[in-house]
Amino acid sequence: MKNCEKYKNIIEKHLDGMITEVELSQLQKHIDGCPSCRAEFDRSTFLKDAVSQAFSSHTSAEQAGASLVARLSSEPDRKPLLNHPPVLLAGKRAAIAAVFLLAAGVLLGFALDRADEPAGPTLKAEVPILVGRIEGTVLVRHEGSDIWEALETDSKIRLGDTFHSAVKSTCVLELDPNSTLELDQNSMLVLESFNGLTEFNLEHGELTADLESGHGPFFISTPHGRVEALGTEFTVKVTDE
Amino acid sequence: MIDQLKRTTIRDEQLVRATLRGDTSAFGAIVERYWNMVVALALTKIADPAEAEDVAQESFLKAYSQLHTLRNPSRFAGWLSKIAIQQCANSFRRTARCKTAFGCKATSLEELERQTAQTNPPGLTESEIHFVRRAVSRMPEKFRQLIIMRFAAGLSAAQIAEQLGKRPGTVRVWLHRAYKILRKDLAPLLEEVES
Repeated sequence: MKNCEKYKNIIEKHLDGMITEVELSQLQKHIDGCPSCRAEFDRSTFLKDAVSQAFSSHTSAEQAGASLVARLSSEPDRKPLLNHPPVLLAGKRAAIAAVFLLAAGVLLGFALDRADEPAGPTLKAEVPILVGRIEGTVLVRHEGSDIWEALETDSKIRLGDTFHSAVKSTCVLELDPNSTLELDQNSMLVLESFNGLTEFNLEHGELTADLESGHGPFFISTPHGRVEALGTEFTVKVTDE
Repeated sequence: MIDQLKRTTIRDEQLVRATLRGDTSAFGAIVERYWNMVVALALTKIADPAEAEDVAQESFLKAYSQLHTLRNPSRFAGWLSKIAIQQCANSFRRTARCKTAFGCKATSLEELERQTAQTNPPGLTESEIHFVRRAVSRMPEKFRQLIIMRFAAGLSAAQIAEQLGKRPGTVRVWLHRAYKILRKDLAPLLEEVES
């Protein structure tokens, strides 16, 4: 049927990711009453989903992004070089002129009052959390900063800090002499609050908390919900499922 | 730093420029955007999912250190896929050298199937996953790349055209040829769905 030809084209556009909302709504109405186009639409959707599923990654894109950023931050030597094509294209004279201008700019920069320089990120308050046992590579990043630093036993912990444990790496945070929180491997944890009410955000991975009674309200939030500590020892795990 | 909410709307060229200015979180957003595509490209060449993820990570690290050589940042994904394909070839060469020098064995089929069973996406059985991967891997290179960019990275035909510097009409024609090949090769699976 001529009408079905039109909808077969729309189904192809759907497969191309080029369908408009109006076309989608028209298609929806049509396939509700046309078994042939419904079957064609189902086959196309299956084709798309089958390829997408067969080639899906075990590691989520978010985890991969966070791991790579953590790795790049811990390897400061690995930096992309700045882009210089305009200088190269403009030739040798322009390059020499640019070097002179740059040198003049640097000298001028030293000579000028530097009071107008923008301040770096404002660090949040330190909290009395001590870093206990560390195994492998665990990184920490202060809120507002892009720099990941290796977590060490004498590292100062601040509100908003993000902790990232690499594969086969763990660390223990001592909240007080009798309360600890152990971050398992391949996990990411953010300290959200520590002012009588304690809250951590477990973005992915696993942690085990062992808390002394009377520690005050204690919460672990995750992408799937928020849990309040009632027992003295508990484990929270965030998976993709 | 790149705001979490803006990650999905910022264009590639903005993320590339932010990375070149030293914002590593912008590169994190790039990785999030194209991780599935790069792993999928690797899986068309490498059977072991863990090795494919290693190759994907190496591809992103190489892209990061070579980012200054990218002339047109709006074609980042096309450039990245070339790097990923090159990294797969390097991985093959390493494995071949390893086999020759030390007699290492490639991962056995049983081992691969066991690993796949642990990472199966919902919906497809283990053998169906192998079947789909084989069908895509057998496609001509240019169709395979388009199918992965379309279905694994979720780029539309127009976006793929921009990334590869081709006309949208050309990409749509190639995509339709690729669908035709896939429909034919995956016919047994499609029949199962209908029955």
